[in-house]
Amino acid sequence: MKTFKVITILICLVVVGVGFIEIKKHKPTPLIFIVPKGWPKPIYNFKNNPLTVEGFELGKKLFYDERLSKDSTISCASCHQQFSAFATFDHNFSHGYNNTFTTRNAPALQNLAWQKELMWDGGINHLDVQPITPIVAENEMAETLENVIYKLKKDTSYKRMFKNAFGSNEITTERMTKALSQFMVMLVSSNSKYDKVKRGEDTFNLPEKLGYEIFKQKCASCHTEPFFTDLSYRNTGMPLDATINDIGRMRITNNKNDSLKFKVPSLRNVDLTFPYGHDGRFFTLSNVFEHYKSNMQPIHNTDILLKNKLYLSNFQIGQLTAFLFSLTDSSFTKNPLFAAPAYTKPIILHQH
Amino acid sequence: MIIKNLTTTLFCTLLITIAVAQETTTIQLKHKVGDELLQLGTTSYTNQWNEQFTVNKFKYYITALEVEFTNGNKNYSWHKKYHLVDEANAASKTIVLDKKLNNIKAIHFLLGVDSIVNTNGIHTGDLDPMKTMFWTWNTGYIYAKLEGQSSSSKAQAHSFSYHIGGYKANENAVKKISLLIKDNATTDNEIIIEANILAWFNGAKKLKIAEEPICHQPGKLAMDIANNYEKMFSVKL
Repeated sequence: MKTFKVITILICLVVVGVGFIEIKKHKPTPLIFIVPKGWPKPIYNFKNNPLTVEGFELGKKLFYDERLSKDSTISCASCHQQFSAFATFDHNFSHGYNNTFTTRNAPALQNLAWQKELMWDGGINHLDVQPITPIVAENEMAETLENVIYKLKKDTSYKRMFKNAFGSNEITTERMTKALSQFMVMLVSSNSKYDKVKRGEDTFNLPEKLGYEIFKQKCASCHTEPFFTDLSYRNTGMPLDATINDIGRMRITNNKNDSLKFKVPSLRNVDLTFPYGHDGRFFTLSNVFEHYKSNMQPIHNTDILLKNKLYLSNFQIGQLTAFLFSLTDSSFTKNPLFAAPAYTKPIILHQH
Repeated sequence: MIIKNLTTTLFCTLLITIAVAQETTTIQLKHKVGDELLQLGTTSYTNQWNEQFTVNKFKYYITALEVEFTNGNKNYSWHKKYHLVDEANAASKTIVLDKKLNNIKAIHFLLGVDSIVNTNGIHTGDLDPMKTMFWTWNTGYIYAKLEGQSSSSKAQAHSFSYHIGGYKANENAVKKISLLIKDNATTDNEIIIEANILAWFNGAKKLKIAEEPICHQPGKLAMDIANNYEKMFSVKL
């Protein structure tokens, strides 16, 4: 009887002791978000999702995890490849579950902390909400949120990482998307040759310099610096592709004036993000220039700046191209901080 | 042995005492189609346009609930809660208010979700997008969902599917519902609110399944249907 008492007391002490260990859990390490010099204040609300090293690492693991898809073949990174500034390299459409195509060209993921709305049509109103769309889309990852959370809960390494990032090992949609946002907001591209020239660390060569002048005259009103997009929706005279029937912004607003309007894409890392356009119909930059120069089909709501198309001489096209290549940021596309974490399966790229 | 039994008895007594002391007022939601209680699945109903239909899903959000008393005071204990009522989940049809409330005059709530929650990211609990009351291509909550089948529907598999939501200025489908409980003082522990699905089909908008079997986006049709269904509630005592 006495032994029993002693054992009981000992067990109680251990239980209480363990409780203290839990209370003394370490706090996650804050991660500082650096706003490049001269850039505006980010739109993303960091107060609701404070950046931490642990949250970022968790977000990165999720970003590269194929288990977010129905048959564990597609991760976020399958279609958002770092070497392509997180667009899909060399594909007009990305490849989804069960031999499907997406209906739009995957945009580069960069400088997302400054984007109020996402997607080509601006249908997504918050970065945290964005990952849900490809996860549940039948022609993308084709999975249910319920299954995703179930799979994450079964993985003890996730339990540990959620706890390190958020203080308890509870795994919810909200925490998952917040972690993904922590990774995604860190994808800042601000170190191209153009940026270095702006900071006085480098100089343009002659074609780049001439190209920049032409750019400021002819392109910058929509592809506005420093993001090289004003994030507005515009009709650039791209006729409807009847095989897709993508009406763009009008799908979101139900407003006829928004028919065939799409978000102005950023030109940062443009050399790496081909093909171009919301449906990737332009395979090269010269296709894009040809479109503005002669192939455009203006309609009632085509942008006023493009009503008479956009004349560019071959010489101007050459200089502009030189300038646009100066927007490539290899310190971004090769930053090991954003690369696949070593402890997940290496990503298998589509071989086509 | 006697001591053990005595302890158990004492413990049980204590629990019962606590339960009695914490008497609560509950709101019971009853879903009906006309005079019949709603049964999900194969039970066939007829709407005002003589269209036969079955119901597979019936869900809606009750949020910002306030209880108003006969003396004009209000109880806001549930005000910050977002509650998803789902016919398929019996427990969701009971709302337990924090304590016993007497002299209730009226109940006010939003059928839907406020615009802040629609625009500030992902939420958890009943607002988790996992509950599939969320549009993933055009961010926003679905406030109310009615799905089923009808021979009148020309859509695939004779389905009809009404997903109602919208928070933007010209698409706002949130409805403020006010239900008068009783003019006189009441001490009832249970308030029964009926939601009648037939209200969806008739109101300012004559909603015929044959003509409009699907509403899957915010906009005029969603607002019209919301204008109809805001009148689906009634109080039974």
